[in-house]
Amino acid sequence: MKPWKMKRTEKDALMSHGPRMEEVYNSIEIHHRITRGVHRDVETAIAVARKFNNEVLRPMYLERDLKHMEDHEFLSRDIIKKAGEWRFFTLFVPKLFGGQNLHFMALYPFIEEISSVCSGLGHLIFVHYLGAATVFPTMNMRVLQTIMRDVARSERRGEPHLIDLTITEPDAGSDAQEPLLINRGRMTSTMEKVKGGYILNSRKVFISNSRLSYWHLIHSWEDKNDRASSLTQFVIPNGTKGLSFGACEKKMGTLGSTADEVICEDVFVPDRWVSLRALDPFFKNSKKGSKWAVHSVMDFVVSASRAGVGAIGTGIARGAYEIAMDYARRKRVDGELLVNHQWAQIILTDMFRNVCMTRNVYMESVYADLLAGVFKVLYKKPIHYYMKFMPKWFFTLILPLLKSRLVTYIFRKYYYDWYTNEERNITSGWASFAKYTCSDFGLVNANMALDLMGADGLRHDAGAEKCFRDVKLQQIYESTNQVNQMNAFFCMVGNRHPEVEYFT
Amino acid sequence: MNAINVDSMAAERQAFADLARDISLKKLVEHREENDRYPFGPIFEDAIRDAGIVGFYGVNLPEEQGGVGMNAGMVSVILEKISEVDASLAGVIFSNAAALEIINAAMASTGDTGIYSEIKTLGTAPIAFPMYASPDEISPAMLSKDESRIFYATIRNCALGNIADYAVVPIRRKENQPYSYYLVDLKDKGVTISRPIVSLGLHGCPMVDITIDKVPSRVIGKSGEGKKYFSAMSDRMAVCAAAMSLGIMRGSFQDAMQYTSDRYQGGRQIIDWGQVRMMLANMAIEMKIAESCVAMACQQMDCCVCGWEKTAQAAAIHIGEMATRSCTDGVQLFGGNGYMKDYPQEKRMRDARHAQSLLGMVPLRKIQYISRIIEECE
Ligand SMILES: Cc1cc2nc3c(=O)[nH]c(=O)nc-3n(C[C@H](O)[C@H](O)[C@H](O)COP(=O)(O)OP(=O)(O)OC[C@H]3O[C@@H](n4cnc5c(N)ncnc54)[C@H](O)[C@@H]3O)c2cc1C
Repeated sequence: MKPWKMKRTEKDALMSHGPRMEEVYNSIEIHHRITRGVHRDVETAIAVARKFNNEVLRPMYLERDLKHMEDHEFLSRDIIKKAGEWRFFTLFVPKLFGGQNLHFMALYPFIEEISSVCSGLGHLIFVHYLGAATVFPTMNMRVLQTIMRDVARSERRGEPHLIDLTITEPDAGSDAQEPLLINRGRMTSTMEKVKGGYILNSRKVFISNSRLSYWHLIHSWEDKNDRASSLTQFVIPNGTKGLSFGACEKKMGTLGSTADEVICEDVFVPDRWVSLRALDPFFKNSKKGSKWAVHSVMDFVVSASRAGVGAIGTGIARGAYEIAMDYARRKRVDGELLVNHQWAQIILTDMFRNVCMTRNVYMESVYADLLAGVFKVLYKKPIHYYMKFMPKWFFTLILPLLKSRLVTYIFRKYYYDWYTNEERNITSGWASFAKYTCSDFGLVNANMALDLMGADGLRHDAGAEKCFRDVKLQQIYESTNQVNQMNAFFCMVGNRHPEVEYFT
Repeated sequence: MNAINVDSMAAERQAFADLARDISLKKLVEHREENDRYPFGPIFEDAIRDAGIVGFYGVNLPEEQGGVGMNAGMVSVILEKISEVDASLAGVIFSNAAALEIINAAMASTGDTGIYSEIKTLGTAPIAFPMYASPDEISPAMLSKDESRIFYATIRNCALGNIADYAVVPIRRKENQPYSYYLVDLKDKGVTISRPIVSLGLHGCPMVDITIDKVPSRVIGKSGEGKKYFSAMSDRMAVCAAAMSLGIMRGSFQDAMQYTSDRYQGGRQIIDWGQVRMMLANMAIEMKIAESCVAMACQQMDCCVCGWEKTAQAAAIHIGEMATRSCTDGVQLFGGNGYMKDYPQEKRMRDARHAQSLLGMVPLRKIQYISRIIEECE
């Protein structure tokens, strides 16, 4: 008898009980899909970030943080310009859209690196990509092409046009971002169909980078009795009549980026700038319907972005560790170097462990995204090679084809009609895990650094207190950690059990 | 039950608590955000002065020296109340009380009261004191042979160094040698004071670095006995540190209760979501535990119960940690608003974490705590 030998059917039956491979072993699942070139891209991204940190960020980030504290309205346009010179706003954009074509997977370790020195800049760059990742799942190739090529051109000109994502309203934070809660929300934004477009009225708050951005992706809802099925995404460039910025929030940390009020007063948005309309007949008449489309598009976005928050949290955890380590190697306590006290060694080891552990979590989420999330099509091997090796002129040539309705139709079929519940749950669930685990441990590390550094840690010039202030944000935005826990419960825990209800 | 009503001095305690609440409401609530802008805005001079006028800088000063003659337990009552609103002023009072405790301890061992008369502003203006560092961390200095002059010394992170007239500072000649406390006249021309250090919290109670260059000095108590005085001060002031953390926690909890009742998400008041309730419950439980610990520590200290010092130190360390945790949740319950300076929660989170470092780095205090127990066992 050889009990370890079994038939495929028996194995499949066993594998379907308990966590399935594709649910919890993303790193194994991705293994055979990523090419050697991806490894090189990740390495390049990390090296570039380290070089930037050494040459640009380290010498000035603390002084800049002070400047922001002194004047909350101060904008770091020069740093954006500098980051643009290093092509940071198109580094991970495919050649197809005029970018530098590093693999999107490399974005996350890149953000960790930048955030290990200054999470304000990490946040600023990441939010821009979040904007890009918000247009992408609409599969509106025309809008995507126009925005991304403008970003590339403006970056080359030395005035990068950033993208923001504008959802939160004064009375709807968690509700506006969580598909299961949208219909209970007290959103006040309104949109009205007029000839050739829409009239948008809205007041949005806490919008990252908005006064530093050029392209504003604004969410509104067409049917106030069923917002969960009627999300509409508008693309509004700066200079549009009726668009203005209100208060610039006075934040505790992450001061390198802003959080602003974005006001639309009777803004006319032409139809061509509506990147997604869930009540569009394509979605409405499709098998899965508009509600599915809204839930999926929101999950595509937050799955990409919450992994990024994980990378920022990990970066801060690492920054805190590096600052504490450096301090412990110089500081004498009781006549001995701090790093030679055993209790300090254990604190430092725990901090390092936390960094390694959180990195694994956010990378699992990134893998899930590449396997089953918003970027899954780009990383099918043939498409990946195609995008990598075809020359730039080729993509310019096929541009008109890409902008056609047919391409949008095919992509939407692929991304919405053929998208499965399982795929959505895995990407969204892991993204929530990444978001709340990394931010929680980021805070743990910031606290440990402060513990170890005593009075010196409280000083701004030591850097550790900045980690503490900055990391708190990671627990709040992209839906609070608590709402993310609920989402993870919905996607990964409760989903197998029919009797489970959510937000009751 | 809290630090206010644990003993026969309940009436006095209540009176101080009422006074502290009064000052907080009148002087601190309205300008909390503005006051927190220091050093990018003005310091709250009025509040610092008023605290002196009502006698908060003389609570633990002996009656013979013009003080109230109470112990650190009474100071803790004031600190707890003020910290509910703005812990920065509590930090100012803490610094002064800690400096006085060093002097009181020295006086108790030598009987020499001369040092009090050297402080011209005694009891009316706060004294500067490096209240975050344990002297195990201080760097060596150069002194004249008879110790009447400090040739060179640097004192890092000294609270109130830029607004006080006098500082009580620890100084040692060499690493690993015993140290002494000195009274330094901060107006002396040999004293150089750095610009206020931008710090995590307690912005209204600024820290500075002080450089002392050929300054006449007066040793407090016996030379080389600094450790003894520090230990006595630290035990007593541990109750105050715990009370400050408790006050900050309570402020955060009360505002979180209010906000979660006012805010609607998901079609109901957020206080009606189980997750929100759980967080509030954790805050409430930690606050209750903190109240009991502070009350117990005060009571034991007042009655000189054997081992009260350990109770006080344990309370300070534990409540400090709880307060940071609790105030972090206090921010979380406000969502995005919690992260903004227009609301009081982010300041509380910073202040709580800042206050956790009072009396020295946390792990070192834990090591010292267990060393004490081990010594007793031996
Ligand atoms: C600096 C900063 C930058 C930001 N950037 C952006 C941006 O670029 N774009 C954008 O659109 N938004 C942005 N936000 C908004 C952010 O996403 C929201 O703040 C966040 O989603 C929380 O919403 P809220 O602030 O309204 O909190 P609320 O939703 O009011 O939450 C308050 C508390 O209630 C809890 N809660 C709420 N609902 C439930 C529920 N159903 N069950 C259990 N608990 C619940 C929450 O966990 C939280 O503890 C930003 C916020 C900040 C602070």
